[in-house]
Amino acid sequence: MSRKIERLINLTIALLATKRFITKSEIFRSVEGYEGSDETKERMFERDKDDLRNLGVVIEVGSFDPVFEDEAGYRIKPEGYELDLGSITGTQVALLSLAAEAWRGAALDGAAHSALTKLRSMGVESDLDSLPAIAPRLNTAHKDFQVITTAIAKRARISFHYLTQTLLSQVRTIEPYAVATKNSYWYVAGLDVAKGQLRTFRLDRIDGQIRSIASETGFDIPEGFDVFDSLKSEASLNEAVLDIRKGKAQLLRSTALTITDLGEWDRITMNYLDASRLVDLVLWHGQDVLIISPKPLRDNIVARLNEIVESHG
Amino acid sequence: MAKSPQTPLSRTARLLDLVPYLSSHQGIELRTLAQDFDVSQSQMIADLTTLWMCGLPGYTPLELMDLSFDSGFVTIHNAETLARPRTLNDEESIALLLGLDLVIESLPQERTDLKTSAMELVGKLSARTSIPAKLSAIPAMPGSVRSLIESALLKKSALKIVYHSSYSDTISTRLVVPLELRVEGGHEYVWALCHNAHATRVFRLDRIQSAEVAPLPRAQPMDVAHAQSAMIPYTIRIHSRPREVMERFSLDKDSLDKDLQLTSYSREWIRRSVLASAGSVEIVGPDDLAQEVAAAAGAILKEYIGK
Repeated sequence: MSRKIERLINLTIALLATKRFITKSEIFRSVEGYEGSDETKERMFERDKDDLRNLGVVIEVGSFDPVFEDEAGYRIKPEGYELDLGSITGTQVALLSLAAEAWRGAALDGAAHSALTKLRSMGVESDLDSLPAIAPRLNTAHKDFQVITTAIAKRARISFHYLTQTLLSQVRTIEPYAVATKNSYWYVAGLDVAKGQLRTFRLDRIDGQIRSIASETGFDIPEGFDVFDSLKSEASLNEAVLDIRKGKAQLLRSTALTITDLGEWDRITMNYLDASRLVDLVLWHGQDVLIISPKPLRDNIVARLNEIVESHG
Repeated sequence: MAKSPQTPLSRTARLLDLVPYLSSHQGIELRTLAQDFDVSQSQMIADLTTLWMCGLPGYTPLELMDLSFDSGFVTIHNAETLARPRTLNDEESIALLLGLDLVIESLPQERTDLKTSAMELVGKLSARTSIPAKLSAIPAMPGSVRSLIESALLKKSALKIVYHSSYSDTISTRLVVPLELRVEGGHEYVWALCHNAHATRVFRLDRIQSAEVAPLPRAQPMDVAHAQSAMIPYTIRIHSRPREVMERFSLDKDSLDKDLQLTSYSREWIRRSVLASAGSVEIVGPDDLAQEVAAAAGAILKEYIGK
């Protein structure tokens, strides 16, 4: 195994150091490790090229001499190989370190760790003292989180089973645009291929494996796409009026658009997205929150409460 | 140790990253180096030995990399070709972009200088990759809370926290000594000695609205046993909306039966959860709990009369 690794490193060094394209025969002659028959060397070299590409190393193929076009030449451009973040400050290195640290123990821990190693190799000292003491942390998402991030990077479709309201497992196929986290939940947003519409899915409602579907076509992610924008605009469609007892229901209060003092109660207006979720939330607060309008929701709550009294009485 | 996978490719990647790391950390201790790359010391020595055999074509001492590591400290010379760190791959870029978004959202509002600095990085990273810049990570709590808890854990010191209890719907200020951080069901919790309750209590991190360092109170006898308050057994029947019920009561999809026997620490939590299920769940036992739910629903109905 060491021999192979040595050969890969030596090949990388040789291709990086050369200014012009070097040919296969030059490589076989000068790079340590290519041994055996011509056929064996050829096979070795093809595999090595694939391996380096899998490591993200871009090998350029070109002709080094226009007169002899039959033999291809190879090289690795330093600009493509090396990390280049332009001029960067110690504070920025510290910010990047904090960003990588946020993954400790979570889905992209390994990638964040190797990114951090590269950042720390840039020779710019991390200036942690210039940052306030914060330690943001990302929680583990789905076990196949990496399938989603890889699919976004490669513009590949993903497919998974999604639990409906009634716990039916439906197969969904999407072109993933973004992943996001909010209120400790993780979401993936993208174009639902069957519906032809944008959809957002909660990762904890995905049942089982997430599979990536190889395709040659790929897709475009709309410029400036924002996961939460679409939710926000929908949320502003509905308005509800609630009465909240003084000092109660902090979470609902924080979403209020207006608050009017009614003495023992406050009357608030708020926007909501999902009627049944609002009903649940109002009921959670018991005698401290009442829904005033819209009337259908109020009637619905009264009906539900009568149902509960009847079934539990 | 040696948690990193040991395929030829992963080792090659590690060696390629090792050279720039060594070039910028000349004289690093072997032990530290092994830790930084998450491998055992013997693995690191094997890696360095392999690297020793590599260099520019010719492979005379003039062209080979010059490594020294037998004294326990590692230096590298003659490695200019590989001395710059490799570019970030897609996975690494995504990890940093999401992490940066979280950092930006966690920074104090007034630090616009740092926010601008971090945004500039987001711009650079997404310009160099095929990753859209708009990956969102919105923290569930103020950025400073966790770091205060972590340092209190280390120093075994006390914190004054403002906590929003979801099921009693109250905001309270408590003096706590954090004991342990744990992730359960996607949420983070801190176990702490609570000096207001004189017992250990569990706090969900995203419900801690603020925290500050506080002097440790005089030692008081802690009734830790009291914290293990009796579990309340109850049985529910699911009528509709099983997904919401499953999530609310933390049930396992594969064990959803018609009647489910559950336990909880709090009657109040059970009552509120059943009400909030809006009829999709019914308490079938014990009777007194069912009556409590009926009474609560009746009391809410009274409030609606005349409103």
